[in-house]
Amino acid sequence: MKSTKWFLVTSLLIVASMILGACGPAATPTVAPPAATEPPAASTPADTIIIGTTDTIASFDPADAYAVRDWEIIKNINEGLIKWKPGTSDQLVPALATDMPVISEDGLTYTFTLKDGIKFGDGTDLTAQIYADSINRLLTIGPDCPNGVAGALATPYVESASAPDAKTLVITLKQPVAYFLQILASATYTPANPNTFPADECLLFPEAPIYGTGPWFVSQYTQNEQIVFEPNPYYTGDLKPQVKQIIVRQFADPQTEALALQNGEIDIAWRFLGYELFGQLKDVAGIKAETINGGSIRYLILNHTMAPMDDPNVVKAIASAIDRNEISDTVYGGQVNPLYSMVPPGFLGATEIFDTMYASPNLDKAKEFLAASGYTEANPLQLEMWYPPEHYGAETAAWMQVIQKQLEATGAIKVTLQAQEWSTYVTALTGGESYAVGVLGWFFDYPDPSNYLEPFVYNGGEGTNVSLAAEGSDYGEPINETAQNLVDLLSQAAVETDLTKRADLYKQAQEVYAELVVTLPLFYNPEYIVYRDNIHGADQFGTPETLNIAGTIEFNYALLSKTP
Amino acid sequence: MTPIALIAIMIGVPAVLLLAYVFIRGSAGLRHYILTRIALTLPMVFILATLVFFVMRILPGDPVRSALGPKGSPELIQQIREQLGLNDPMIVQYARFLGDMVTLDFGNSLIGGHRPIVDEMSERFPATLELVIPASILALLLGIWGGTFAASRRKRTADYLWRIYSVVIYSLPIFWLGLIMQLVFGIQFGWLPISGRIDPIIGTTIEHITNLYAVDALITGNWAALGSVLQHLILPTVTLGLILSGVFVRMTRINVIETLQADYIAAARARGIRERVLVYGHALKNAMIPVITLIGLQVAILLAGAVLTETVFSWPGMGRYLVERISSRDYTAVQSVITVFALLVALISLAVDVIYSLVDPRVRY
Repeated sequence: MKSTKWFLVTSLLIVASMILGACGPAATPTVAPPAATEPPAASTPADTIIIGTTDTIASFDPADAYAVRDWEIIKNINEGLIKWKPGTSDQLVPALATDMPVISEDGLTYTFTLKDGIKFGDGTDLTAQIYADSINRLLTIGPDCPNGVAGALATPYVESASAPDAKTLVITLKQPVAYFLQILASATYTPANPNTFPADECLLFPEAPIYGTGPWFVSQYTQNEQIVFEPNPYYTGDLKPQVKQIIVRQFADPQTEALALQNGEIDIAWRFLGYELFGQLKDVAGIKAETINGGSIRYLILNHTMAPMDDPNVVKAIASAIDRNEISDTVYGGQVNPLYSMVPPGFLGATEIFDTMYASPNLDKAKEFLAASGYTEANPLQLEMWYPPEHYGAETAAWMQVIQKQLEATGAIKVTLQAQEWSTYVTALTGGESYAVGVLGWFFDYPDPSNYLEPFVYNGGEGTNVSLAAEGSDYGEPINETAQNLVDLLSQAAVETDLTKRADLYKQAQEVYAELVVTLPLFYNPEYIVYRDNIHGADQFGTPETLNIAGTIEFNYALLSKTP
Repeated sequence: MTPIALIAIMIGVPAVLLLAYVFIRGSAGLRHYILTRIALTLPMVFILATLVFFVMRILPGDPVRSALGPKGSPELIQQIREQLGLNDPMIVQYARFLGDMVTLDFGNSLIGGHRPIVDEMSERFPATLELVIPASILALLLGIWGGTFAASRRKRTADYLWRIYSVVIYSLPIFWLGLIMQLVFGIQFGWLPISGRIDPIIGTTIEHITNLYAVDALITGNWAALGSVLQHLILPTVTLGLILSGVFVRMTRINVIETLQADYIAAARARGIRERVLVYGHALKNAMIPVITLIGLQVAILLAGAVLTETVFSWPGMGRYLVERISSRDYTAVQSVITVFALLVALISLAVDVIYSLVDPRVRY
């Protein structure tokens, strides 16, 4: 009798919960069973768009944030002086400034005039002084913030900011920087609301609401669950929100994110679905799946001060033996693109120098290089290659095995693959003292070739050691004349304001880079955006099919609309 | 008052009341036993926390380097290590850690925003609690009822079916069962949500008091939120509960069968007592001691199972938190979570031992 009671109680609990759920707003999916390839009808309300992501947020503070996701959030709640025209990755346009800046002849001062009537979402006027204070805050407290953006994008370039009057903002640089406008378009240079972010310390997670100068404000934020955006009532710019609410939901697992999209729990799946889930979703009716050629690249770090990578013949042999197409085809089903220079196609001065110089795969050439250093089938080169098994996706192990097979096909190399979890791996690899060969990924901070070359050359170069870290030096101590030549070319290009000359300098730098094989570029990854077919981008801007996301990977939520 | 403090009160007050009741009403032996167990628990937690402290630091890898990735300059890494006290001698760090533990402060996370661990646990712990409590109840109800039912029909079809069920369900990988649940009840039939704790839109209306969403919704009378929370609970709870129920079915079945062969059951049967009363009224109660022991032992397994369930269902709980923080070498977070888990397991183990004496008066300490 007791057991019957328990069974009844349990059944009643389950039924009651179902009824309670059904009584709520029609926000959760309670739809008819879908066909195998057909998702249920959209079940989120027409005035709300829900974006799913597995990417995490590390900081809301412009003086600290240094990750793609953080910048995406900040740039939706904040506009800066200039911005990338939506849907493009090469057109900078004024945002809070009336026009593009007046740059002094010596290239050291940038003068902007602010538009009238700019306010933060809480009604505070944005004056030039507030903006100058925000930039000076970045320079003074930024270096003490944990994510380190100031040391990368501010203190090396900017001397100070000042406000001669309420509308005029002057930014003074330490030396001319050819790509300063690209840096200025980043979230780092958007104004920090003085009512939210204290002047004397960084505040990574302020209490919601978080108001900026952009189209949205963060009305609610639940750590690890969701961020809710609502339209900024004081926004006067050209990116007016099309819906009442945007919710960004955090997922632990991309598989669950993909299922949630099919189930109608989210409208858009953005970063990081991976190519396998993308492949599955693109065949589902009612769902659109698009790729965006972004700047995410994969490459081998070769440590030039550690045997056997200190032998130029060895690094050239490896560069000659790699078949990038095979990696793309066998591991990624052709979804990634071979990369023949650290500077991806589309960037200023990008070349395919590794293809020109090594025409890989060229096993005969590789054998010649190896033989020149005494490595033969009878005396093969013993090579230990390291990789993180999870950090860049589960496919990493598969393409490392492809590389192992390709190198061993020379007959004169024996490869041992070593997996190491990320926190140990990245310390050892970039420290430049432990691993001779390892894998890394890179995503630009600002879309410019300098950001794809300088970090791998200057001051230890992420473990390449072509220029050894030296106290008080911006560049370090190059290990040989060729490395010195490379440093010289890069430092000249960084201050060259003539675009044609600059592109030429980067072409020369890439040639020297390939000659040294500083790193070995392998492939670049597209980004995947997958969404339900009632979600639309804005037709007046470029690439509406990718919801106006272009190569800068900037996602303007204000351009999203939804048909019921 | 923080949510974690509220939850500590919600769990702690009844636990203390129970212990006080048993302590006052129980025998001198039981009182001595409780005092000894409490006295042993503290050094046990201390030794465990110390072990975790040193093991985490012996392991290769660095929390600051891990968080910054390849873009962190050596100067910035050194500066942050200094700020976080990671450059201090090990003994200084250990003393600081012990001080934090004693004051239940736990310090700040070493990654992300360096937030207080107490704040992070306030968000995560209630989520895990909200998952494991109904999952445990489901596992117990199903396991005990199924085991008893199988025992009462020994060597008949129902018995064989329950035995097959218990073996199959126990051997299924939890993430696989979760995925199947999502595909069937979420995607195929569209009956249930497959991720998260609450519908995102209804979630904007909930007041965060205890961070136990069902409790918060009940307290504030937010019925739509309560419905949504219960709907979101079904798939993860059933997944975790089903996996755990297998071992309870087996344990209950074997103990009830053994009890049913006892002389006093034969005597009761001879007196004409109905079979149902015999099984559920007499045999089951006497077969419960080993099952209660198993409940205590299952707590650790339950928390381990919660890690996978939380990942599959994007449930922002402690299990996921622990795995994330181990891989990013967030020493303070890992030390704190393991200490809290150890305290929890020790408390439940003590409670189980105390409950023996309530369930079976023959048990003496």
